[in-house]
Amino acid sequence: MENKYNEETLMIIENFIPKIKQCLHQTSFQEREDLEQEIKLKIIEKLATKEFQDTPSFWDFFT
Amino acid sequence: MSNEYQRIEEFFCRNMEQIKNPIIKSFLADAQNLYLVQKAILYPTDRNMKMVDETFQSHYIRVRTIKYVSNLIYFYSLDFDKKRRRLQNRYLLIVDNGLLETDSTREGDRIGKGLLDTVENEKLFISLKKLTHKQLQILEMIYVKDCSIKVIAETLQTTPQNISNLHRKALKKLHHMLRKEEK
Repeated sequence: MENKYNEETLMIIENFIPKIKQCLHQTSFQEREDLEQEIKLKIIEKLATKEFQDTPSFWDFFT
Repeated sequence: MSNEYQRIEEFFCRNMEQIKNPIIKSFLADAQNLYLVQKAILYPTDRNMKMVDETFQSHYIRVRTIKYVSNLIYFYSLDFDKKRRRLQNRYLLIVDNGLLETDSTREGDRIGKGLLDTVENEKLFISLKKLTHKQLQILEMIYVKDCSIKVIAETLQTTPQNISNLHRKALKKLHHMLRKEEK
């Protein structure tokens, strides 16, 4: 179970690499590597704890 | 058969507004999801309805996650830089740039060293060696000696625009070479 989650997280991070790289420009040159690592860490942290509740049912949209 | 098509069509016509909802739209864009929905419309058994719901929910969660992560990256990087700047302003004594022009140690380190001596990355070194002498000279003046474009233009007896152009070309060439190396 754990493994599956990890793989999913990894996939998400990989898909987001261009976005991360783009956002690295927010900070100064020296800090970019740090920031990249911090962002990845944060994503892992958040995805492990975050759960989206109250997902609507498909048929709720149609009456 | 045509009757079936009609029923599907009717269903979609009836719910035109909801179809335009981005989440529904993206869900139905997948052929497999569309097929499931059509099946559920034609044969609205519990099982069919439930299957649509389950796939829809996983789709929904995926979309939410993507949005969430995207926002997270953006705002986190903003916050990160804010924090960094605040710390930097608070602890002014962490010398990063040298307070004065004549700052002793760092300046002393640099004296007599060219750009090629300061580069540690092997690939970069090789790429730098492929640049023309003039390009290398300009890069050295900009990045090692911290000269302004104007000063460089004066020393090389040319215009600032020219220096800027050469600088850009040099960087482009470096970028190109390093990219090629990566592949």
